[in-house]
Formats: sequence, structure tokens, C-alpha cells
Amino acid sequence: MAFSLKKKYDDLEQEISGLPVGSYNQLVFKKFLKHKLACLGAVVLITLIIFTFVGPLFVDTAYDDMDFSAIFAPPLSENHFLGTDEIGHDVFVRIMYGGRISLLVGIISSVVSTLIGLIIGLLSGFLGGIWDKLLMRFVDIMLSIPLFPVLLILSLVFGSGVFSIIMVLTVFGWMRVTRLVRGMTLSLRESEYVMASKTMGQNQLMIILKHILPNVIPIVIVTTTLNLSFAILSESSLSYLGLGIQPPMPSWGNMLQGSMSYILGTSTGQNPWWLTFFPGFFIFITVLNVNFLGDGLRDALDPKFVSES
Amino acid sequence: MKSYFLKRTLELIPIFFVISFIIFMLLNAMPGDPLLQMRMDNPRAFAQDPERLAELREYYRLDDPLIVKYFDWLKNIFVGDLGFSSQYKIPVSELIFSRLPNTLLLTVTAWIIGLVLALPIGIYAAVRKYSVFDYSTTIFAFVGISLPAFWFALMAIILFGVILQWLPISGIETYGVTGFWNVFVDKLQHLIMPAIVLGFVQVAFWVRYIRAALLEVLDQDYIRTAYAKGAKETRVIMRHALRNAMIPIITIIALDIPYFFGGALIVETVFAWPGMGRLMYNAVLASDYNLAINCLMFLAIITLLSNLLADVLYVVVDPRIKLDERKRG
Repeated sequence: MAFSLKKKYDDLEQEISGLPVGSYNQLVFKKFLKHKLACLGAVVLITLIIFTFVGPLFVDTAYDDMDFSAIFAPPLSENHFLGTDEIGHDVFVRIMYGGRISLLVGIISSVVSTLIGLIIGLLSGFLGGIWDKLLMRFVDIMLSIPLFPVLLILSLVFGSGVFSIIMVLTVFGWMRVTRLVRGMTLSLRESEYVMASKTMGQNQLMIILKHILPNVIPIVIVTTTLNLSFAILSESSLSYLGLGIQPPMPSWGNMLQGSMSYILGTSTGQNPWWLTFFPGFFIFITVLNVNFLGDGLRDALDPKFVSES
Repeated sequence: MKSYFLKRTLELIPIFFVISFIIFMLLNAMPGDPLLQMRMDNPRAFAQDPERLAELREYYRLDDPLIVKYFDWLKNIFVGDLGFSSQYKIPVSELIFSRLPNTLLLTVTAWIIGLVLALPIGIYAAVRKYSVFDYSTTIFAFVGISLPAFWFALMAIILFGVILQWLPISGIETYGVTGFWNVFVDKLQHLIMPAIVLGFVQVAFWVRYIRAALLEVLDQDYIRTAYAKGAKETRVIMRHALRNAMIPIITIIALDIPYFFGGALIVETVFAWPGMGRLMYNAVLASDYNLAINCLMFLAIITLLSNLLADVLYVVVDPRIKLDERKRG
């Protein structure tokens, strides 16, 4: 009863003011739901996460099980939904396990690099002065190092494997976040409420945590999604070049590398296009939907953005 | 103007030193030994004469402190001595200059393809805002930035090279083709796929950027004034809007030059295109130290120069910018 009364009251208020009613989070959520591509992105990504992380529990085949009775079986053949490769690995199963690695690497490295970028950006913007100058110059320099060749060398330095690839992507993933956060912090630092807080004797750490951090969170969330698509693409490129995740452990990138030997056809004249098509298609779909999601989040989280639809 | 240019150029000097130092340290952290290739080429000589290794280490001064080696390397760069490639057994500078034209051919073609596609699409999408065409370019742009370049390349090879057999699948020329016209056609056929793959991703970025830049201008009062005076739409867009929108567009196009070189690494590797990117990839894999470090430094310098170019262009094309007021970052 009370609930419906409150709702009626809210509706009435909305009618009068013409503005949407609700807390910031509710408004963000409503706005997000309006963005159709972003909703699609969220649904697809959740499905992909369930598919890769929970899916393998329901399949008897392991990623390195070989079925010698079905070598180069095409998609939709018996027992092998997406076909098999040169030693009878099931492509469907390997895509599940490979996606686990690709998503894990992408998510961890993008979250960690965003966090690093956030902290450095906050410090740089808030401390100002010589620290800010030095840090920003460093960011400039890091940004003008040709990224991909350096990733290549770093992955040789750190060696291959899940952990080192995460390291590699993190080391060169934080600079853009830093720049954005630093810029916002600089302008927030001059705002009246931060001034007020300072005059009341609030300590610096609390000002950063209570007044500045909440304001930069939206932009940080959006950049995390950008970093995520970058990380997934880079991991797959590195693995494709043979410097990322090493077989037999599958990742979407190294499955593509494996398919390279048969791109001109097998010795029996078959053309196993499915070995190339499916792993790349999954990378593409994942990155595409991460980008959709990021776009929707940007629109929804930005209070200044007036929905034009 | 002159002083601004000078200032920006001078600023590059400390950046150059820091970048070269980072690159140097990275390459030194790389596993492998510069003498490895030598030992593999001639295992017997080293087995018979164990002291030889120590002599060579001494000769190449491999055990010098890192900082000494760093300044030696810098000094050599300035006198134009880039050392020998352990893989190819010829001077690195010779290698770089033999591969550079191939990479330039690929990147410039991709760049032109990108521009030729992106400009009209971006302009039309902005002019017909929220039309079906505009929405399709949005989707197209998302697809473009999400496509893994190497997968796109592989699928193009399978479709056009293997199944349809329209285009050659790798390399830069067919052996034994003679005659100016035949060579030209042959090169063109080899060039089409890699250039389109390389240009495609950039098209997606540029379309969105051009659209946004033009939309911002189309909102201005002087556009309305031009319409009010009875100017035709094409004239307003070409003469009034585009000229102003070109300022940010030119800058972003200059800033993107390094991306082409970076992207070329993967595309060249997939298509076995004998350019700088593939050269570097192989150098890194084979621990060809001299080659790898100088290729990387070369790319870094290109990046720095295109940043400088973008900065300067930005000021040159936009007379409204007052130099001292321009803030960085």
C-alpha cells in the first residue's frame, strides 16, 4: 500500500516537473535499458561468460582429448558441433576453454591496469606541481612508444603463460586512464565543495576518497570496457603470433595460429575453414559486444549527456 | 610560429633520450644472447675453441656495463652505424632501407584507401544525421573497431585467395614476372588485400571522428547564416562546414600515422609482406639484437615525429589558436 502510494506520488511529481525521478543509480539503469545495442552487448557478454566458465562443466570432452576417428570433421558432424582439427580436437570444446583464458586475461588485465591508472591519475591530479609534471611527462613518453612491437618484446621478456601475458598487457594499459582521471581531478580540485572540505580541515586522503573518487568512477568504468576490448584483441594477436598463451592450452588467438598451417587446405585437399573462422568469430563477437556495452555505459553514466532519442 | 615549432622540436630531445633508454633496457631484458646465432651457424668452431666465445664477447664488448653500452649505441646511431644483423649478415641500415619502401607502399595505400572511404561516408553520415545511413555507419564503425585485423586478413585469404582464387595469398611479387606493365599489375594484385585489411580498421575510427567533427560545425550560427542567404546545401557543406571541420580531422589523421606502422606488423606477418613490421617481428623472434633495437627505435622516432606533425598542423590550420594559451593533455 505504502509502496503504491509512493509510486503514485513519484508519478505525479514527474508529471509536474517533466523530469525523470529516481536515484542516480536508477536513472543510470533506466538510461542504460534504453540503449538497445548496450543491452544486447550485456546479454551477449553474460551468455559468453556462462558459456565459457560454466559450459565446460557440462561437457565430457577435455580440451586436449583427441578423436582419431574424426580428423578434420566439418562443423555439424556427429559429436562435433563445430568440427575438429588435425588431431581430432573438438573445436567447440576448445572454444569454450579458450574463451575462458581469453576472457580471464582480458578482464584481469583491464581491471588491474584501470586501477593502476586510476590511482596514478588521482595522485597526479591532486598533488599537482612537480609530481604532476613528472608523471604526465612519463605518460606522454609511454604513449609514444610503439605499442605492439613493445608488447611483443615484453612477452618474450616475461615468458609465455597466463600470468605473464596479464603482466604485459597491464604494464602498457594504464596510461589513458591516468590522463583522463588526472584531467578530471584537476578540475574537481578547484570545485567549491572540495574547497569547502579543505577549509573545514578534512585531510587530503579523505577528500580524494569522498569527493573526487565518486566523480571519476563513471569515466573509469567506461575506460575499463575500452581497456577490456583492447586487452582481448592484444592477447589474441600475441597468441596468434605465438608469443601469448602456449598450446596445448587453448586460447582463441593460438587456435587461430594452429589453423594457419591448413589455410591453403590439407594434404587431402580439404579446406578446413572452420578452424580459422570460429575462434576469430568469437573474438570478434566478444570485442564487438564489449564495445556496445561501453558505449551504452558512457551514455548512461554521463549526467551531462542528454538522450537525443 | 617559428618559435613554437622550435620549442616543440626541442622538447622532443629529452623525450628521445628517455624513450631510447626504455627501448634499450627492454631489448637488454630480452632472453637470448647476441652471439647465439653465431654459435648456431658454426657450432664446430666454437666446440673446438672454447676460448673463442670469450674473445668474441670481449671483441663485441658484451660485458661492458649497460650504461656504457647504451651510450655506445646512441653514438653509433648518430654516426649512422646501426651494426650488423646476425640473421641476414648484412648491415642493419641496408636492411631497413630495403624494407622501408615496401612498408611505405603498403601503409600509404592503406592510408589513401582509408581516407577515400572515410571522408565521404563520414560527411554523408553527419549531413543525414539519424538517417538509416547514419545508423548503419555506426554499426559499421563498431564492426570495424572490433575486428581482429589478423582474423580479417586470414578470412580474406581463405575467401579471395584460396576459394575464389582471385588474388595471390602472400608476398609482394610473383617470381619471374617481367615487363613494366605486368610487374605493375602483379604488385597491385599482391597489394590489394593487405592494404584493404590495414585501411579498414582506420576507416571505422575516422568515419566516427569525421562525423562528430562535422556535426559540431553544422551547429554553428554561420552555417545557418549561409543557408539563410540561400546557398545550396553542397556549397554550404563543402565551403563553409567542411573547411572548419577539417582542422581536427587533419590532426587526428596525422596522429594515426604510427598506428599504420604498428598495424603493419601484423598484416605484414599474415601476408608475408617483406616490410619493416615483419622484419622486426622476425628480428625479435630470432634475438637479432641489432636489427630489433634499431627497428624499434625507428618506429619510435616515426611516432614522435607524427605527434610533432599533428601538433604543428593543429596550429597551422587553425588561426584561432593562440600559441601560449594552448594547454597540454
